[in-house]
Amino acid sequence: MRRQPWRVRALAIATATALITTPSACGTGIAAREPGAPLELSIATFTEFGYEDLLIEYQQKHPGIKVRHQRTGQGGTYHQQLFTRLGAGSGLTDVVAIEEGHLSDALAASRLFQDLAVIGPRDVTGNRWLDWKYAAAKARDGSLIGYGTDIGPLAMCYRVDLFAAAGLPTDPELVKPLFSSWDSYFAAGDDYAARTGKPWFDSAAQIFNAMHNQLATGYFDTDDTLVVATNPAIRQNWDAVTAATRRGQSAGLTAFSAEWEAGFRAGAFATKTCPSWMLGVIKAQAGPANAGRWAVTGAFPGGGGNWGGSYLAVPKQSAHPREAAELAAWLTAPEQQIRAFARTGNFPSQVEALTSPRLLGTVDEYFGGARTGELFAAQARKVSAPQYKGPGDGRIQEAVVTPALRAVEQGTTPEEGWRRLVQGAEKIAR
Amino acid sequence: MAAAGPGRGEDRPVRTRLAPYLLVAPFFVLFTVTGLFPLLYTGYVSLFSWDLVGDSPGFVGLANYAELLGDDRFGTALVNTLSIFLLATGPQLVVAVGVAALLDAAPRPSTGWRVAVLAPTAMSVVAVGIVFANLFGPRYGLVNAALAGLGLDPVDWQADRLAGHVAIAVMVNWRWTGYNALVVLAAMRAIPPTLYEAAIVDGAGRWRRFRHVTLPLLRPTLLFVVVTSTIGGLQVFTEPKLLDAQPGSANGGASGQFQTVALYVYQSAFETRRLGYASAVAWVLVLLVALLAWVNYRLTRRMAGVDG
Amino acid sequence: MRAPTCLLLLAFVAGSLFPYYWAFLVGSQDAVSMTGATLVPGGHFLDNARRVFDTVPFWRALGNSVVVAGTVTVSTVVFASLAGFAFARARFPGRDRMFRFVVATMALPTQLGIIPLYLAMAELGWAGGLQAVIVPNLVTALGVFWMRQYTLSAVPAELVDAARVDGCSLARAYWHVCLPSVRPALAALGMFTFMASWNDFLWPLVALDADHPTVQLALERLQSGHYVDYPLVLAGTTLATVPVLLVFAAFGRRGLDGAALG
Repeated sequence: MRRQPWRVRALAIATATALITTPSACGTGIAAREPGAPLELSIATFTEFGYEDLLIEYQQKHPGIKVRHQRTGQGGTYHQQLFTRLGAGSGLTDVVAIEEGHLSDALAASRLFQDLAVIGPRDVTGNRWLDWKYAAAKARDGSLIGYGTDIGPLAMCYRVDLFAAAGLPTDPELVKPLFSSWDSYFAAGDDYAARTGKPWFDSAAQIFNAMHNQLATGYFDTDDTLVVATNPAIRQNWDAVTAATRRGQSAGLTAFSAEWEAGFRAGAFATKTCPSWMLGVIKAQAGPANAGRWAVTGAFPGGGGNWGGSYLAVPKQSAHPREAAELAAWLTAPEQQIRAFARTGNFPSQVEALTSPRLLGTVDEYFGGARTGELFAAQARKVSAPQYKGPGDGRIQEAVVTPALRAVEQGTTPEEGWRRLVQGAEKIAR
Repeated sequence: MAAAGPGRGEDRPVRTRLAPYLLVAPFFVLFTVTGLFPLLYTGYVSLFSWDLVGDSPGFVGLANYAELLGDDRFGTALVNTLSIFLLATGPQLVVAVGVAALLDAAPRPSTGWRVAVLAPTAMSVVAVGIVFANLFGPRYGLVNAALAGLGLDPVDWQADRLAGHVAIAVMVNWRWTGYNALVVLAAMRAIPPTLYEAAIVDGAGRWRRFRHVTLPLLRPTLLFVVVTSTIGGLQVFTEPKLLDAQPGSANGGASGQFQTVALYVYQSAFETRRLGYASAVAWVLVLLVALLAWVNYRLTRRMAGVDG
Repeated sequence: MRAPTCLLLLAFVAGSLFPYYWAFLVGSQDAVSMTGATLVPGGHFLDNARRVFDTVPFWRALGNSVVVAGTVTVSTVVFASLAGFAFARARFPGRDRMFRFVVATMALPTQLGIIPLYLAMAELGWAGGLQAVIVPNLVTALGVFWMRQYTLSAVPAELVDAARVDGCSLARAYWHVCLPSVRPALAALGMFTFMASWNDFLWPLVALDADHPTVQLALERLQSGHYVDYPLVLAGTTLATVPVLLVFAAFGRRGLDGAALG
């Protein structure tokens, strides 16, 4: 039985009261298909995956299959819809995209997804992807719930003109020492703030999240126990970031707010943690008038890191799991992801794709002609083993840690902010 | 109706008794599915510890309601809601009646005026969010630029609690004052001119005519406006969500300083994913709204109905 | 209209329309960000509008929204006026208790109602299609409440009673006595219902599948990137508002002034 008994019972009671006379049990099992009729598969994505042409090609290669593509604009609305339908037990497409930040919730509900290692094509194995990307999609029971699509390897972006005005080096090679560790990063920030009186980074949460993701153990340990209050590394990061904030290093501009966007134009901060896709954001927000003022360098404090990127999963609701897994496997093959990269700039997560001449030859004139393909491919290899993400991990970051750090930027004491962090995390984790 | 021919003497009593129920039946049939079912289902869920996508809801009785009593986040949200309600709904209704009276003063208010007055309600929420984020930006916003132009200090709409409430009230009032004005206007236009003429003959001035002719006849409509504004005002959700600088956040500011109860319901259901607890909060909100709507209903009846 | 009246109204309307103007300003820029926003339009509105039509199936979304909002509006006006009349001027046991119940149901926050409603729609097999957003809104408590209140003030009880004494059935009394007097309320209800349905976002987002986008869902898809293309989005929202304003104008011309002025 696919639907949980309690939900059926709840509905039966409710429908009886509601005098609905035609409760049609919509089958969620393997549907019988009339011979000759095309099999219809559906796939849901958000923002830009660059799959339009690829899906047309897939249908040409498989005349018996028709693919419907369901697109949503924003990740936030998309994932709310995804989890509402997951909870309701119906309404999802055969293939669904899941963003890295929401992966922990999907992993916690792994029983609602197919194990791709079991139903997926045999020839698709872990060595297709970067190790950390592949490992992150493994649930605690060992099942593989998603095939990796793209990633967001982290580098550092900085304002050349502001660096020059503060007497800091400006060449991408020469700034690397500033970004060799978090200590050197905050020290340079103090230096910059002392000389200019201006903030060093955009917001405390952006820095904290990057630091946090480099920890061996995050908010949960591997048996899903919340360790926020007991993991000393988290508290150390918190102290470092809030102290830097209190010393004036943070511009206090919440990521993706209208003010943050304006901040890129106004030069409200001198450095930005920069996943590959952030280059597009900077270009759009800073505008042509600031071309050449932003630069990117192949260094990141504390090693490497990743922010963003997605997976394709097959929910158990799907009536055609094998065919859906085949489609997901095809889309996430290196050849296809390179084409998606060409279309959207989404950085591929496949080992083979990272050596493709097309990717390595990418140059960005806006950032002073930086060889961004090469740069981010190198950054992608610096990412260490993925940190274990417990149930609700992504929501703790978005709904608890980010507001707590914003509160500190707005004048709340670090001590009170920490109390809220621990309390809020406990609320989500239980 | 046309079939009511001969023989009506016999079946008429039955039909007469049934007829009113038939008129309200379509509403109640539909309402059972879309109103009653969600209401009861929510009540049922509130007795469980129920994760949005979890698999083992446990019956907890009234534990969710007990927890609510000691939840300071809920307390904060309650205070915020009432504060925003007072800042928004009161002024809004006074201005709405005023605008309606101004429009009513014209012999035949043109369609253009009415469309202009109603336009804010019609603006897509996406656009409202973008526009007001740029108006109320603490650093680069238009409102603070205007304040600076007047030689005043900028206001941090994101950090300051009262300033946040004011910004939300401005958004709410901008969106809904025109709507309420047109509702009141529709009722004003229904008052027969002969009544005013009679009052003028009796020597009544403008204010007396408004007080003793217009207001009593508006009573049912004012009751409607007051009750629906009370409900809408206490369920404020969109505006505080849009004001928050963190996109999509239901936290109502970094410290929840402008989180409303409806926003807290949403956060509990979709972020904390505690559907049972969210349902309990929702039910308390339902009771609160019903209570306040009833109080306001009585107050309005008394105020508008002295000579009614 | 006298001068002070006119000035006050002008001030109110200016405040009401300023955000529209601002949205149009940004919608007429050519940069992706708001860099170029000044108080003079930029002249790229038509280009941005064309991009809206190229990016999302806007015509199909418009069609769906017209079907949904149109059906919901007609049905709400009919059923709400029937029920409103019965609650205001018919006498039957349980009337006031039923009515208070109707009003009380408006107190449930819609954000939570969507989960049970989705379960009900899925069980009926309607989730995904347009009926999932049409059926739940065929008549609303708000509409019934409004029509009852207006009927109370516009349709004197004596008139209805007189008609009943003359042998009129309740339905005939509704048709001949009530309906002519409540025309302005019907027009107002029509406007409000159309608008609410047109701008609804959260429920259509959950209930509809990709083949049945409404205008608001299509607008959401314009924000598909790591940054928002403001001129594109605001050109889209401006376009999406035009049909609503047309409906307002049509209803406004038709009935709002009501029977009192003949």
